[in-house]
Amino acid sequence: MERTKPYNRRDFLDGGMRMSLALGLGGVGGLLLSNSTGEDWVWQIDPFKCTQCGRCADECVLTPSAVKCVHAFDLCGYCDLCGGFFLPDANDLNTGAENQLCPTSAIERKYIEEPYFEYVVNEELCIGCSKCVKGCSSFGNGSLHLQIKHDLCKNCNVCAIARLCPSDAIARLPASEPYLVKGDFIESESTRSE
Amino acid sequence: MPARNKYVLLFMLPLIAITSLSFWWLIRDPTQQFELRQPDMDGRKNSGIVREKINIGEFFERFSDKTVSSTENWPRFRGIDFDNICKSEIKLIDRFGPSGPKIVWTKDLGEGHAGPAIYQGAVYVLDYDEEEKAEMLRCFELKTGNELWRRWYGLNLKRNHGMSRTIPAVDEKYILTLGPTSQVMCLDRVSGNLLWSLDFTTEYGTEIPFWYTGQCPLLDGEEAVLAPGGKALLIGVDAQSGEVIWETPNEMGWKMSHSSIMPFVFAGIKMYVYSAIGGVVGVRAEGTRKGEILWQTNEWKHQVVAPSPVCLPDGKIFLAAGYGAGSMVIQLNENNGSFSVDILAEYETKDGLSSEQQTPIYHDGYIYSVLPKDAGPLRNQFVCVDPQNFNQFVWSSGQADRFGLGPYILADDKFFILDDQAVLTIAQVSNNRYIPLDQYKLFDGHDSWGPFALADGLLILRDSKKMMCIDLRT
Repeated sequence: MERTKPYNRRDFLDGGMRMSLALGLGGVGGLLLSNSTGEDWVWQIDPFKCTQCGRCADECVLTPSAVKCVHAFDLCGYCDLCGGFFLPDANDLNTGAENQLCPTSAIERKYIEEPYFEYVVNEELCIGCSKCVKGCSSFGNGSLHLQIKHDLCKNCNVCAIARLCPSDAIARLPASEPYLVKGDFIESESTRSE
Repeated sequence: MPARNKYVLLFMLPLIAITSLSFWWLIRDPTQQFELRQPDMDGRKNSGIVREKINIGEFFERFSDKTVSSTENWPRFRGIDFDNICKSEIKLIDRFGPSGPKIVWTKDLGEGHAGPAIYQGAVYVLDYDEEEKAEMLRCFELKTGNELWRRWYGLNLKRNHGMSRTIPAVDEKYILTLGPTSQVMCLDRVSGNLLWSLDFTTEYGTEIPFWYTGQCPLLDGEEAVLAPGGKALLIGVDAQSGEVIWETPNEMGWKMSHSSIMPFVFAGIKMYVYSAIGGVVGVRAEGTRKGEILWQTNEWKHQVVAPSPVCLPDGKIFLAAGYGAGSMVIQLNENNGSFSVDILAEYETKDGLSSEQQTPIYHDGYIYSVLPKDAGPLRNQFVCVDPQNFNQFVWSSGQADRFGLGPYILADDKFFILDDQAVLTIAQVSNNRYIPLDQYKLFDGHDSWGPFALADGLLILRDSKKMMCIDLRT
């Protein structure tokens, strides 16, 4: 059948509106579908990029911060003189408050046998200040390091710490592999060269 | 309600409330939930260790009677002149080339950081055999790496960031060693026969430093000069007989450090300078009053001291220590034979020249060092300072050229610098800028911290478990 009515401006606008609506609905549907089936992403700290600036303790939206110190025991030297536990040039190597580096006493030092000691982080007390991490990295094996704990993290769209991190150490990771724990995770060549 | 009662209520109720609150505030203990952080909460026990009987130098085995020789020696820690500078005329390479330097030989060692000494074509290394559980002086041929002989004794050590970490002292007649738990052994150099031994822990009550003994022993003529701490700060022992000739009293109660004794002549007086745990001291090293304290200061007091003092011709002494301790510069003064010390500078690691493990090199009026990890933006960089100002760097190697706790040596106007992973760097000596020449990864090293030894153009280096000899001749 031959079209008798001419294709006017009103028809053009009408068709355009329908098409836009269809595309918009399709797009939103697709996005929702991809969100429900695709992988989630979470924030995490690369311990090899972290420079222990201390901002993780202050800048997180949570108080205390969702950033905590974790300990890679397989890397630890179990030293009597632990750079992550004791203040530099501590008066004595004992658990007296005046000798400890951690402001909240979140690291527990346990005697194993001469000359070995185990250092365990109490997550409830840890505020993520990274003082111990700095000490351990400077004078030890770097077994103490920071991680964002995902049972605490709000997973904000824009992580307040990542925005301010001076060493770009915080990035998104797939939620299926949410941690970069030293020992399991090896410093990449690209990171090392930076 | 009568107006009077109203007023009473109006004033009395708030008064009672305020009084109650004040009372509660006064009697409340705000520290109720505090937990005391006291010493001894780690459950450390007095070890009560039953000390095993140690028969120092008990066993000997010879593998070859071959006579070996070399034209040059590296007879002790920091070489012939205690400066870590090789003065040989032999020309050394500027570049490694694509295949790297020629590897002459490699040897597996027990975990540790003990560097070698080279004398008359033989390489002497104090090793720890983890299978035999034995402290072992091993003698290798420099040119081939073949083991010529070994002398050892049973010693039960636990891993503690390596076991062995001292360099033997060797001269024409003697070999002197100081083991991880401070057992001294003196041998006849040619035969390897045991001449005498001494156990610092039983004889002097020495407290073994963290991670075992790091002091490299000193042979000065016919005397072994050692710093046991404990009952005597320094001692001189007749190298032939083992008889103790002099002792420097240790009334200050200073302890043995990882630092080594450095001979120094100032104002015409020869002295031994030693940076102990507790202070730094200068001890007379000649004449009838040998062993007498010439000067001392306890202003330099740190838990871990590894670098040895760097003594400059004008009487300045540079002191450095690790674990955030920083550095100090002292000035020796002499007046009619009596000495005094002024503190010229004391600063944190990030504020000037410092070192955690290796001893800096003084050459031609400038000092060179690799800065520790806690030195801020310049961490792990190789740096140069003019001793007129230890807080200002003449140059630094830059962000791309960082090193670790490994050794560095000066030879043929070049620095050879090893990082923790056994990457060897060559840099031209310069007092106005850093001039890198080449770099090569020798092997997949771990904690390559043992000091170098260099003789006849053959450089011996090691990581925690492997020793390697490379040919640096052009």
